[in-house]
Amino acid sequence: MSRRTWVLTAAALVPVVAVGCASMGQMKPEEAIAARQQLMKDQGAAWKNIQDKTKAGDVAGLLPDAQKLVDTSKQIPKLFPEGSLNPEKSAAKPEIWAKWSDFEAAAKNLTAQSEKLRDTAQSGDKAATQAVVQTFGRQACGTCHTPFRVPPKQS
Amino acid sequence: MGFARARVTPFVCAVVVALVGFRPDVALAQASQQEIARGRYVFGATGGCGCHTAKGQPANAGGRRYDGPFGTVYSSNITPDRETGIGSWTDEQIVTATRLGRRSNGERLLPVHPYPVFNGMAAEDLKALVAFLRSVPPVKRANQPKRIAVPLFESVFLPAWLAAFAPRETPPPSAPTAGVPRGEYLVRAVAHCGECHTPRTLTMATDNSRFLAGNPKGPEDQAMPNITPDPDTGIGKWTVEQIADYLGTGNKPDGDVAGGLMGEVIDGTLAGYKDLTQGDRVAIAQYLKTLPPIRNKIAKEK
Repeated sequence: MSRRTWVLTAAALVPVVAVGCASMGQMKPEEAIAARQQLMKDQGAAWKNIQDKTKAGDVAGLLPDAQKLVDTSKQIPKLFPEGSLNPEKSAAKPEIWAKWSDFEAAAKNLTAQSEKLRDTAQSGDKAATQAVVQTFGRQACGTCHTPFRVPPKQS
Repeated sequence: MGFARARVTPFVCAVVVALVGFRPDVALAQASQQEIARGRYVFGATGGCGCHTAKGQPANAGGRRYDGPFGTVYSSNITPDRETGIGSWTDEQIVTATRLGRRSNGERLLPVHPYPVFNGMAAEDLKALVAFLRSVPPVKRANQPKRIAVPLFESVFLPAWLAAFAPRETPPPSAPTAGVPRGEYLVRAVAHCGECHTPRTLTMATDNSRFLAGNPKGPEDQAMPNITPDPDTGIGKWTVEQIADYLGTGNKPDGDVAGGLMGEVIDGTLAGYKDLTQGDRVAIAQYLKTLPPIRNKIAKEK
């Protein structure tokens, strides 16, 4: 193949690949809702564990859950595709899509805060870890829940 | 050395006395720093007067929108700006607006600002709150006029409604300092929990026979949970420690974290529930535990 053919073929493939990626990245709304609800449940369980471990003074014990928060936080934006607003089934507010860059920033903030929690715990400094845990709920979870989530019904 | 210090000390004292004696504002400024700190604490205990801060806007500059059956109001600028805020009001005028709902020109505030509740605040707390409000940066932002859709609403309906349905809390001679009485004072008069968590009757007055039993259609269309100690539909299963933790951190016993309006008041603006002392958060939790448990399952209205 000549170099020119290569370039042309590559150029022709760009839209194909782009569309392919987009359709793979774009989940169906109901799948996305189920997946993000599961993710948030898992994160809640991890966060509860982190608090319990911290109270018990077991700083090393919270590391796997802190890592879980780091990893799962990165999946959040793609679980909120356009068209997955569904007030019947989901607590996601329309503000998510109206202020998408703020929403993405809130997810990135969760990643950053979770990394900070993990790294502080890794250092073994109990007091510093307790201090991070003390504000983590508000600063990592709350900054997104407050603007973007309808508060849950009472269980 | 001892001799030298003995000679220096009276000299230092004399200088201090002279300075304070000739500059009375020094002593005054120190007293008011304490007062401002107390005011900030009270401000936090109200949830940061958050209705007066619009999303993404400067603290206390007002402009947040509230829709009611009567029309639409926007919260007022309560920064010390002299033209558009409360900078030219006297302390007395600010206190009167806060607890009695009257502007200096006699005009009545709509009870979206819960003055029947804030009337239960101790005079010393209100005075400190005013000192704090004056200490924050002034913001020039003109108040947006309200839009009242109901004829004769302010001249006839509102005074009658206030007289018939909105009993005023009674202020204590001084703010209780500890235990359940402290918790009751904070919940009823300062943190104004009932404004959101108490169901409302057909007249839109809070139904205090079901105090804090939850409101399916609370402010900004949010469902407000039942926070009486009913084990199934309220927070009877939460321990005092869990409630106190929640108010300080937003963390719920099940791993969830507060959001919505509760997230806002915990975080506050310049201060919020999170800044309450552990003692006060425990006092609130202990008081909530003394309430009659009311069975009322809150599910969001469709």
